Amino acid sequence: MSNEHFDLVIVGGGIAAATVAKTVVEKAAAEYPARHPRILILEAGRATAMSADKYDTYVEAYQEALIKVPNSPYPASSSAPQPDVLDIRRPVMEGRQTKTPADQGYFVQMGPLPFGSDYARSLGGTTLHWLGTCLRMLPHDFRMYSTYRRGVDWPLTYEELKPYYERAEWDIIGVAANVDDQYYPGFVDHPAEFFKAADTVRFPGGGYSFPMERIPSSYLDQYLAKLADGMTISLTGRDGTVHDFTVRISNTPSARNSTPTTPTYEVVGAVGNADRGQRCEGNSSCIPICPAQAKYSALKTLYELIVRYPDREPVQGEQVRARVAVRSQSVVMEVLHTQKPGETGTVTGLRYKTYYDDGNPPTEHRVTAGTYVLAANAIENATLLLASGAANNSDQVGRNLMDHPLLLTWGLLQENVGAFRGPGSTSGIPVFRDGPFRKERTAFRVEIGNWGWNFPENAPYDTVHDLVGGGRDGRARLYGKDLRRRLGEILPRQFRIAWELEQDPQSTNRVTVDDRYRDALGKHRPVLHYDLSEYVRASLPWAAEASKQLFRRLGIDETQRRPVYEPGDYTHYDPHDASAVEYDGMTYWVRGAGHVVGTHRMGDDPRSSVVDSHQHSHDLDNLYIVGCGSMPTLGTSNPTLTMTALAIRTGDRIAQDLKGAGR
Amino acid sequence: MPNGTSPTSPPTPQQIFTDLSAALTGFDRAELAGTGLVDTYYDTLLRIIGEREAGQLLRAAAEALETDRRHHGNEALEAELIDSPRFGPVVVSLIKLWYLGSWYPLSGRYRDVSGSTADDVEHVVSAQGYREGLVWAAAGAHPMGAKPPGFGSWAEPPYLPPTL
Repeated sequence: MSNEHFDLVIVGGGIAAATVAKTVVEKAAAEYPARHPRILILEAGRATAMSADKYDTYVEAYQEALIKVPNSPYPASSSAPQPDVLDIRRPVMEGRQTKTPADQGYFVQMGPLPFGSDYARSLGGTTLHWLGTCLRMLPHDFRMYSTYRRGVDWPLTYEELKPYYERAEWDIIGVAANVDDQYYPGFVDHPAEFFKAADTVRFPGGGYSFPMERIPSSYLDQYLAKLADGMTISLTGRDGTVHDFTVRISNTPSARNSTPTTPTYEVVGAVGNADRGQRCEGNSSCIPICPAQAKYSALKTLYELIVRYPDREPVQGEQVRARVAVRSQSVVMEVLHTQKPGETGTVTGLRYKTYYDDGNPPTEHRVTAGTYVLAANAIENATLLLASGAANNSDQVGRNLMDHPLLLTWGLLQENVGAFRGPGSTSGIPVFRDGPFRKERTAFRVEIGNWGWNFPENAPYDTVHDLVGGGRDGRARLYGKDLRRRLGEILPRQFRIAWELEQDPQSTNRVTVDDRYRDALGKHRPVLHYDLSEYVRASLPWAAEASKQLFRRLGIDETQRRPVYEPGDYTHYDPHDASAVEYDGMTYWVRGAGHVVGTHRMGDDPRSSVVDSHQHSHDLDNLYIVGCGSMPTLGTSNPTLTMTALAIRTGDRIAQDLKGAGR
Repeated sequence: MPNGTSPTSPPTPQQIFTDLSAALTGFDRAELAGTGLVDTYYDTLLRIIGEREAGQLLRAAAEALETDRRHHGNEALEAELIDSPRFGPVVVSLIKLWYLGSWYPLSGRYRDVSGSTADDVEHVVSAQGYREGLVWAAAGAHPMGAKPPGFGSWAEPPYLPPTL
């Protein structure tokens, strides 16, 4: 077994890992005296593509894929399998007990509901197929217990995290948005106050701007704004109180290249071909893959690191620099440590296996470091810690697994709005993101989708099947010019909304390990227990009712069903679907949003949290556990931006603590 | 004449295939040629239903299209192909192939009579087939993940050719 030593070893090769590495390298070099750590990044999946021509082959794989799910362009090995939304089945329950787990794919789903999201195990991680939404959390999101007696408070406030949000938006991701478009509850008439800059050197006077101008709102967004801006949606609380919400369509900040707001901002294009991807080109496929790489992925940061800080001795006369090594197909099997139950300890190394997929058996390795970082995704971090019996004095590792349970509603509009054009979403309706109603039901974000019924009805495929026919009678219903004309009438009028509910932390929603369930390398597969609390479910009828009022305003409130195509509301939820959820006698479909959160929550108290506000383990003094898993509550923001801000803060801390490490 | 054909010589099977495809899809011969897929899809048809059956289908198509040309209608196409238990299911798959770039399998009822080939399973014919799927043009859009219309194009009013 080989043994090597580094200043810092990071498990995982996604955005959290890339952010920590970049921040540590740059911060440590700026310390006095400057330090130049040697860093190893261990990625379980394959090294995706570090040049534009190789990246193109993943685009081609997507185009050739029969079912274009988020992971379709990214092959996984049985030695590092990844969850796939096609594997989602419902476990068979007997009351609250699992009778038959749903274990078709990588996850072992114990229920009662299946966890509905996936992630990518490839270099670049899930940023390879994220949508790129970059909303900050709202101030109340950090103080849920104090404000609404729900969930827990964070050990950080919005104001404390703000400087790191700014750095995430400018220095890691590159976010396109205009402050004036952001109509968040509590700041509707003064968004500049919400964004008042923390960094007054970069933003003299505190007037914040994003590094790039907004990505233009779609024609659909403009159409909706014309019809619905200013309308009031009224929803009734349990005690009969009527809550009024004023709709304002708001352009969404996104990790998509656009026009820089200042000449000093350098847009980061495609890896290995910076001229490409300088601006979003409208490929309409942010998920599963942005062909131009105008959307941020962690490959960009990793590429910068391995080009600027190659892992080799400096040649004569060359300045001493940090060194970053990336090793793919290297699966960490165990965190070795000295911790005894109830006590603190130290990580003494990582045991990992490198697999080859060429017929040769995997090789086993051990690596040691001054500091260790787990940044392998919330579910992977928890699985690894549980399998290692590490960092879990609080018994919170694996618990509080969260997502944004997502309710889709969809309709056919009265007019051609040009669906299937542009980024997946360019606007939302933020008004439901906060309010006193959060005492009794969860907040939600409203995402307007630009890709017709692609998500709810597999359009345009199923639309073509409906019109062309076949099946039992084997006869074409529509063909020729009639078919072409009819598709032109239907497809560009398709419209859908995702109502993304905040999920509250529940200790019973958890990742566990079970020796019976292992992958080809012998590593534990995640065993998931998952449900939606009463608090979350109570927002399902609200979202459904809000949708009805909005659709009425748009003139499409009449109920319709395929294969008939007339303007109307096509929302329907089949009780036999794997994602069906009952509430108050009604059935809803609740999909996953791909936001895998919780599992190693941060807090000040080691008895009730796994890491502190710097994502430093309470139990193991040289271990940081970073990523969305550290978030104690989720709010209504897609979590990547917040995760990135937290990772920068962690990187700063690690750089300070490197002390004499490095050269 | 190019290709050694003359106005009076009978159309080649590929020409019949193109004319049939145009009648079935509502896209003209130039639009179909622009996809670069006429030969690929002709080969796909032969591969999946067999050369002999394809020959019969194209012969029936040639006669029907010629009749309809004379009468300025589509009655013969309807009667001889669309409504035909023998050719109707193939026509359905052919339309979907052009619109979506994927082959969708023939029905059990078709196979009861005609049998099946091993290739008659659902598959994306090629990445190019996906990119050139006619459904995107019919929607006034572009294939998701290809042929990007440029920064900000999605903010402009949609456009569909009015002449249809």
